[in-house]
Amino acid sequence: MNRKSYKGYVYLAPVLAIMLVFTAYPLVRAIFMSFCEDYSIINGSYKGINLENYADLFKDKDFRKAITNTITYVIFVVPLSVVISLLIANLLNSHIRFQGLFQTLYFLPYVTSVIAIGVVWRWILHSQYGLLNSILNFFGFESIGWLTDRNYSMASLIIFAVWKSLAFDIMIFLAALQGISPDLYSAARVDATPRWRVFFRITVPAMRPIIAYAFVMGIINSFKVYNEVFSLFNGSAGPSGYNSAITIVFYIYDKFYNNYKYGIAAAGSVVLFLLIMFFTAIQRLPGRIRARKEAAQK
Amino acid sequence: MEIKILNLTKAYGDFKAVDDMNLSVEDGELIGLLGPSGCGKSTTLFMLAGLTEPTSGQIFFGDKDVTKVPPEDREIGLVFQNYALYPHMTVLDNITFPLINRKVKKAEAIERAQEMAHLVQLDGLLNRKPSALSGGQQQRVAIARALVKKPQVLLLDEPLSNLDAKLRVETREEIKRIQQEVKITTLFVTHDQEEAMSISNRIAVMNRGVVQQYDAPQAMYLNPINAFVAQFLGMPQINMFQAQVTGRGIELDGVLLRTREQLESAGKKIADGTYQMGVRPESLELCEDGFIVKADNVRMTGRDLLIFFKIGTTEFRALTHSDLQLREGDNLCLRARKNSLIIFDADGSALVKC
Repeated sequence: MNRKSYKGYVYLAPVLAIMLVFTAYPLVRAIFMSFCEDYSIINGSYKGINLENYADLFKDKDFRKAITNTITYVIFVVPLSVVISLLIANLLNSHIRFQGLFQTLYFLPYVTSVIAIGVVWRWILHSQYGLLNSILNFFGFESIGWLTDRNYSMASLIIFAVWKSLAFDIMIFLAALQGISPDLYSAARVDATPRWRVFFRITVPAMRPIIAYAFVMGIINSFKVYNEVFSLFNGSAGPSGYNSAITIVFYIYDKFYNNYKYGIAAAGSVVLFLLIMFFTAIQRLPGRIRARKEAAQK
Repeated sequence: MEIKILNLTKAYGDFKAVDDMNLSVEDGELIGLLGPSGCGKSTTLFMLAGLTEPTSGQIFFGDKDVTKVPPEDREIGLVFQNYALYPHMTVLDNITFPLINRKVKKAEAIERAQEMAHLVQLDGLLNRKPSALSGGQQQRVAIARALVKKPQVLLLDEPLSNLDAKLRVETREEIKRIQQEVKITTLFVTHDQEEAMSISNRIAVMNRGVVQQYDAPQAMYLNPINAFVAQFLGMPQINMFQAQVTGRGIELDGVLLRTREQLESAGKKIADGTYQMGVRPESLELCEDGFIVKADNVRMTGRDLLIFFKIGTTEFRALTHSDLQLREGDNLCLRARKNSLIIFDADGSALVKC
C-alpha cells in the first residue's frame, strides 16, 4: 500500500466498516453456522464442526419439497410474468384512451403491501365464495379448492405471484419502450411491416437488455419467495396440516424461529445461495456468448 | 411521378405549421424544401409520406389523390434525419426488410438488395451491423432501404445534417448521382441554403408555414421575391440597409449609390422616400469612380477576402478576390454592380432591381 492509496482507504473506512459489520460478517457467520452441529444462538456453543446439518437437510422431505416447489415457482412465475408484462406494456404504450389511468392501475400492486393483496386474493380464490370459482361455475366447471386442496396450492401461489410481479416488470418495460426511437416505428410503417414483425424484429431486440434484467431480478426474487406464501395461506405453507406450498425461505424461517434449528436454517440459506448463483450464471450465458460473438465480428 | 400539393394545411391548435401550401413537382425533379427550423418543411415532408395527417388540403401523386392513403401504400421511400436503421439487423437485413414485408421471395430480395447496395457503394459491408458503420455509410444504407422497393417518390428529411462538413459535400453529390441514376422524383428537407442550391432543380423556401418562393436556385438567388428569401440565401448574408430615394437617385448618408438615370433605367417608377434595400457582398466591386470607404476589418477566408466597412452607421460586407492587398484602416473605392441593388417595399416584397 503506497502513500496515496493509504489516504483513499481512510476515506473508504467508514463504509467499509459498516459493510464488514452488517454484510460480510453475517455472511461468513451464516456459512460457519451451517457447519456447526447443534448450534445455540444464545451462547454460540456447538457440538462439533461437520456436515451433519446438510445431511439432516437433505434427509428432510419437507426440504426436498421446498426445493422442488421453489424451482417450480421460479420456472412458472418468471417467464409468465415477463411475457405477460411485455404484452401489457406494449398495449399500454400504444396510444389508447386513459393511458395514464391504466398505467397507474397496473402499478398499484407494486406499492401495495403483499399482506393486503393476499387478503384480496384469499377472497378471490376462496373455495365457496371466491370470484374465480364463480367464474368457473358460470362456464359450467366445478369449483376448485384453490386454497384448501393441497394439489392446487402451487397453482394458486403461482397465479397470485404472477399477478403480483406484473407491476414491476410492466413498469421497467414501459420505461424501456419509451426509450425506443419513434422513427424506427415510422420507418417500419413506411416499410409495410406487419404488427407482429414490428414486435419481434424491432421492439423485442431493442428491449433485450431490459428483458434480461427482468429475468435476473425475477429469478433472484422468486427464489426468495416467502411473503406470497405467508399471505396467501394465512401464515402457513399450504392448507392447514400440509406443507404443499412450502418454499426454501419458508423452510429456513420455520427451522430458525419455530424449531430453533439454527444450524439447519443456516445450511438451508447456503443451499439457497448456491441455487440462486447457479441459475443466475446459467441465464447470463446466452448474453455472454452473444457478446463474445459480436466482439469477434468486429 | 408528378406531385401536386393543393391548399395543404397542418394546424396544431392555433399554430399553423403549414399554411395553405401549393406546390407542384414534375416527374424526376429534385426539390429542396428550405427554411429555418420550425418553418414547416419537415411537416410537409411527413405529410407527403403519410405519417402526418393534414388538417386540410390535398396531395396528388400523379392523378391519384393520396391524401388519405396510408404510408405503406404510397410507394414512397423515406430517409429519416437520424436514418432510423433497425439497429439489431445487418445491413442486408435492413435493406431486404421492406421487400420481405411485401412478400418478395428471399432470393430475389437479396439480389435486389445487393444491386441497391452496389448503387450506393456499400458492397462488402452487407453483413455489418449499423453500429459498425460510419455516419455516411449509415446514410447510404438508409437510402438503399428507401429505394429497394422501387418507390415512385423519394423523401429525405435533413439527409446531411448528421454528417461532418467534408462528408456533407460528398454525400450531397452522391444523393444527386443516385437520384439521377434512378430518375426518381425526390424531395428533401434542409435548413442549409448552400446544400439546397447546389443539388436541387428547384427550391421551395418556406417561412412560418408559408412557401415564400419556389424557383430554380439561380433565379431565386438573383431575384429573391422578398427580403426573407434574400436574407436566407447566400453566405455571407446579403447587406440590408435603409436608404433614401431622392431627386438625385439612391442616397445613403451622403453616398450616392445610384443616380436618378440608373434608377429609372430599371423600368419601374419608385416614389421618393426611405426604402429597405439589399446588395450582396459579392456585388460590391472595386473600381476607380465609386464611393470611398475605410476597411474596418479584413478577413481572409481562402478563396475570398471579406471586408467589413461602414457607410454612415450602416455596416456592410464586401467580398473581393483574396489576392487583394488590403489592411485594416486602408481606404478603398467600391461600387455596387449593375442590377445588384434590390429595393424592397414596406412589407418586404422586392420592388425592383437596379
